[in-house]
Amino acid sequence: MSTDTTLDATVVLADISAMLRALLDEYGLDDVEITRATKFHDDLELESIDLVGLSGRLRDHYGDKINFASFIADKELEEIIAVTVGELVDFVIDSLHQTEELQRG
Amino acid sequence: MAKIRVGELDVHVQRLSLADPPAGSEAPIVVLIHGILYDSLASYYFTLGPTFAEEGMDVIMYDLRGHGRTTRPATRYRLEDHVEDLRLLLEKLEITRPVHLVGNSYGGSIAFGLAAAHPDRVASITAIEAEPPVPAWRHRLGEGLLQAKPWLATDEALAVIAEARGGHTARLSLAAGKLLQATTIAEDVLLSRTIDDDLAALQCPVLAFFGDESVLMEQVDHLRSTLADCHIVVLPGQGHSVLIERAAEISPVILDWVREGQAA
Repeated sequence: MSTDTTLDATVVLADISAMLRALLDEYGLDDVEITRATKFHDDLELESIDLVGLSGRLRDHYGDKINFASFIADKELEEIIAVTVGELVDFVIDSLHQTEELQRG
Repeated sequence: MAKIRVGELDVHVQRLSLADPPAGSEAPIVVLIHGILYDSLASYYFTLGPTFAEEGMDVIMYDLRGHGRTTRPATRYRLEDHVEDLRLLLEKLEITRPVHLVGNSYGGSIAFGLAAAHPDRVASITAIEAEPPVPAWRHRLGEGLLQAKPWLATDEALAVIAEARGGHTARLSLAAGKLLQATTIAEDVLLSRTIDDDLAALQCPVLAFFGDESVLMEQVDHLRSTLADCHIVVLPGQGHSVLIERAAEISPVILDWVREGQAA
């Protein structure tokens, strides 16, 4: 990724929404509104094994900069269940920013 | 890595290791085996898996047949079928060195099963709230699953579970009920091959974790008195969900133990 990229929360939200739609497609649920407030578990009915799939899609899209497994591993079970799309968007943006700063030295 | 063809199955596999391992040393291979019905590799992927990889282990996680994202055939759910699936998976991954097995609950029984049937494949076993597949294990688990099978198919059961344990557990129970209905998994436990109570078949080192509030605590004396090489850790104030609720505590203990075993 180039260092002058302006990371836009809207773009990241659109990226993640597309990944989630691809996952939900497998269940035949492709017509769900996804916003920052959407909860993975309560609203999308994703189980932890789906989050493993999401983790792979994040890595494919953003590269190794995004360590979703460690994002989740730091949380308690109740927190994982309550994670929202917005929290993941913020995590992705933070991770990408950190990488940019490292690259700038 | 995602799906690997193993016999009749497409097995969902996740493998994690350091991108740049230190030269001149072979990373210990650790295979993490999840439990029955309610479980999948996600239980490791979001707990022990990433930590073990960061600490230099070559970590292999997979979904058992019928679970997670692995194929769900209608039949062949005896313990020896799961053991054979694991043996074939290791073969497919071209792993010839003995591996360190970590098994949660039923996954621990699979680990003991592989060690008994193919001792040359197994360097050590870490059993998390798990029993060796002795006759009493088969009877208890098999009868339990046969009772759960019709019960979990009822709306009443799901309402009771939702009330007592919350919506998350109710949803997992619904998924578990579907697995029981769609396959012979409950019936096959009672037909599974067992090992003798003297556990003479198990010669590799065993590290075992139990919660002191778990019904499996009665295993402790039996393991201690019969296993040749056994280290037991009992976690106070803990029930069966040791892996999910105490991952941070057990992780360094397992890592130290695997490293010691590797060095020996």
